[in-house]
Amino acid sequence: MDKLLTLRTSVVSIQLNSVTLKMLGTLLIGTLAIALMSLSAGSQWLNPIEVVKELLLSEPGQHAFVIETLRLPRVVTGFLVGGALAVSGLILQSLVRNPLASPDIIGITSGASAAAVFFLSYLAETVSALWLPFAAILGAALTSLIIYLLAWRQGVTPLRLILIGIGLVAGLGAMTTFMIVLSPIATSMMAYVWLTGSIYGSDWQDVTALLPWLLVLLPLSLMLSRTINVQELGDPVTVGLGVQVQRTRFVLLAISVALAGSAVAYAGAIGFVGLIAPHIARQLVPRSFGSLAPASLLIGGCLVVVADTIGRTAFLPLDVPAGVFVSAVGAPFFIYLLYRQHR
Amino acid sequence: MMSSSVRSFQLLIAIIMLVVAFVASIVLGQTSIPLGTAFDAFTNYDANSIDHIILTTTRLSRALTAMFVGAGLAVAGALMQAMTRNPLASPGIFGVNAGALFAIVLCSTLFSIASLQDYIWIAFAGAGFAGVLVYGLGTIGRDGVTPVKIVLAGAAITALFVSFTQGLLVINQDGLDSILFWLAGSVAGRSLELVRPVLPFLFIALVASLFLGRHINILVSGEDVAKGLGQRTILIRLLMGLLVVGLAGSAVAIAGNIAFVGLIVPHIARALFGTDHRWLLPGCMLLGATLLLLADIAARFLIMPQEVPIGVMTALLGTPFFIYLARQTAVAQS
Amino acid sequence: MTLMMFRSQRYSDFSISLQLSRKLLLGFLFMVTAIQEASAEQRIVEHSMGSTKVSGTPVKVVTLFQGATDTAVALGVIPVGVVDSWVQQPTYKYLRKDLADVPHVGLESQPNLEVIAGLQPDLIVASKRRHEKIYGHLSQIAPTIALETVFDFKDTVAMMGLAMNRQQQANALLQSWKNRVADFQQRIPQKLGEQWPLEVAVLNFRADHARIYLKDSFAGSILNDLGFIRPANHPQGQWVVKLSTKESIPTMNADVFFVFMTEDDPAVKRNYLQWTNHPLWKSLDAARNHQVFQVDEVAWNMSGGIMGANQMLDQVYEHFGLNPVM
Repeated sequence: MDKLLTLRTSVVSIQLNSVTLKMLGTLLIGTLAIALMSLSAGSQWLNPIEVVKELLLSEPGQHAFVIETLRLPRVVTGFLVGGALAVSGLILQSLVRNPLASPDIIGITSGASAAAVFFLSYLAETVSALWLPFAAILGAALTSLIIYLLAWRQGVTPLRLILIGIGLVAGLGAMTTFMIVLSPIATSMMAYVWLTGSIYGSDWQDVTALLPWLLVLLPLSLMLSRTINVQELGDPVTVGLGVQVQRTRFVLLAISVALAGSAVAYAGAIGFVGLIAPHIARQLVPRSFGSLAPASLLIGGCLVVVADTIGRTAFLPLDVPAGVFVSAVGAPFFIYLLYRQHR
Repeated sequence: MMSSSVRSFQLLIAIIMLVVAFVASIVLGQTSIPLGTAFDAFTNYDANSIDHIILTTTRLSRALTAMFVGAGLAVAGALMQAMTRNPLASPGIFGVNAGALFAIVLCSTLFSIASLQDYIWIAFAGAGFAGVLVYGLGTIGRDGVTPVKIVLAGAAITALFVSFTQGLLVINQDGLDSILFWLAGSVAGRSLELVRPVLPFLFIALVASLFLGRHINILVSGEDVAKGLGQRTILIRLLMGLLVVGLAGSAVAIAGNIAFVGLIVPHIARALFGTDHRWLLPGCMLLGATLLLLADIAARFLIMPQEVPIGVMTALLGTPFFIYLARQTAVAQS
Repeated sequence: MTLMMFRSQRYSDFSISLQLSRKLLLGFLFMVTAIQEASAEQRIVEHSMGSTKVSGTPVKVVTLFQGATDTAVALGVIPVGVVDSWVQQPTYKYLRKDLADVPHVGLESQPNLEVIAGLQPDLIVASKRRHEKIYGHLSQIAPTIALETVFDFKDTVAMMGLAMNRQQQANALLQSWKNRVADFQQRIPQKLGEQWPLEVAVLNFRADHARIYLKDSFAGSILNDLGFIRPANHPQGQWVVKLSTKESIPTMNADVFFVFMTEDDPAVKRNYLQWTNHPLWKSLDAARNHQVFQVDEVAWNMSGGIMGANQMLDQVYEHFGLNPVM
């Protein structure tokens, strides 16, 4: 028998066996290695040992500015964004009981995009661009609420949620296109960058704005991990087990929206992370939320960090939005996964 | 059951509606043209009359394009819904539009494309590829094809192509500002000479679909029944698939990203003509053409002198309808 | 004294670097002006993102939008880093000679911050519209000024002149521009008589649509200054109208058309021919009176700087058969 490690506090109770722990440990080490590589890579390759020294020593060295001001916040933001999207996708997939769900497919990201493009097209002349993240979060929240209300009919079923979300994606996409085609000021370029998703120019302010969301929402979702596991069994079972299905669903959905919304607000409409990361996680750790969530978080974070590192080094001096490479790396892999899973 | 005479009467009304929409599309616009003048333009053409010029050069080709594209998308949607027994299937949902879009943007970034005719062939290829991919993704798995799986596979492939497209747009922004209207869906800038190479395909595919009506009825009643009746189901499915790619592909190639026509029209047609595909398919053709003509007329008036891209118009009309359908479907399934 | 030593140290460094870049003569001029204006030790530049203190005479300037690059060259300073151009990539033809060896720092929308930092500039010129998000980073690299827009070329000249300690040159550029505009305004009524003021439309053709550039665009604002007027039916408060159907051709109507497009794109060329061969096109005043002029898209739309504006003005002079004053 596997030894079980049980983390049990008054609110959280997660069981992890030693295999899972080893896997999570490996992932964590992998993440740190990727982060270090990403900190070393750039317009100029820095020796990783130098980078570590720079990070650990309090005295600023020769490359302090490049490492600590330019690269580090970007790596951290990328990791947080990817992790938030991945966990958001994991929750949605459990909730909807379908491996193809993710924040960008069921409309959360589209709502944020429409709001962001509206901001860029009609408000950018009068309002500071620093308000853009708020517009995006507002858009995501509003859209999700609309999806939820439209899907309500004596309760919300996952199926209706997903179908209505997909319908809204098309409608919101059309509105976004409309604004880009006919906006009175020249914004199409900024809009395209936003829609592709980019963590270019991230600073510590972004990190401090993004971090609280994750610090609150991740433990919260772990607290709910038992109900999430139950949710996956389907309506008849969940009702039988006495879980207050509708209320839990609403809370889970809200967590998922808040995670995706805050990530998208700071990075633009990066796609596919929420879809792929949980899939990869399922190949590596057992299918319980308590072990899937940290694994997805790490994988999603790495995905965005890697994509962004490619984006800012592959075509120097161009700094290509990370979203391009997330899809480029993620999409073929996703198709392969689906193929393998269903063979 | 409705009798044939009732249905014939309904079809006749649909034809009359189409004619009215067609005439309206020809006379209404930035300059309204009196009916009499419009009639003259065809019988007694005056090369100095501005009205006549507008009519023959822009309005006519635009109306014809909208008609063919609308009919093509609607029939493609009906065929898809029959094939997958899925009320939510349609070219847009299947990722066909996004595939065509991506193919165009990719090719115009890599090569310099000389003409809109080349765009049309490239779009055709992209549309076909995406359609096959989604169908493939939606069918794998233990429980076979389910509506939700197809819709999700379509959404995933759409998301994929859209994000690729946006990435390319960021890198080659100025060049692609150039094809804004095609990206957004438009029947406005198409002169007949441009559309002509594709029209025969559309026309043949439309006519061919009419002959399939009886076979589709049998197929829809169930694979076993169809086999029992001696139908070669694989052949019929293959034919339908080919028609779908032909119809949807050429529609997207001509007019760009026009969503929801293929989804809505078959449902309206079913409500009117019933589920017999011998009547349903011609009904879809007529209603699809009418719907797109009307959407195009509305698109001209909203923000003069500019125009709303027609793809935006249909999406705004279609979203509420899709949501209504989705609610129904989800109820039926649970 | 220590300050003086420090300064002379900097100057010698700087002249070596110029020797390396084989622009000794130009460097010499820099030094002369720099010493002349040594009194202007520190200047506070008020700009769209606040105020920035710039000291001395910046010589390593990074320009992050097309108009700033143009203006730097016009002020006699070759930037040490520029962004890629929109067309004629990577550098507009009219700037290629001056910017032959200048490193690029990426796209205007996402310039590479590490590359900029590596250039160790002493002044960065950005634009609020494009670079608000990275302003914080930029100003940690070097004093950064940010223009509100990317095409208000007069503002750009004045502000960059102040920041680069080249007010004299900036004033000279602006004065010469004023003189030229005044000259045009004075001579064109004599030339055209009753016909002046002319109604003008700036047209642009793309692969699947056509555009009218209005008053608020770069070319539009210059034509305003010159005294051209707009047809009454052209929308206000917008910089462009996009027309997708040839039925809209009559909206273009004006006495004179200036047309620009990406001429080496066959799809654009083809679309242009289709629009201009349409019978409605032939009914337009400008077309009937042969007042359709093809102009350079870089000067008229893409440059956004004083050199581009002057080239544009040259072309306007030329089309009306007037000899431009310099």
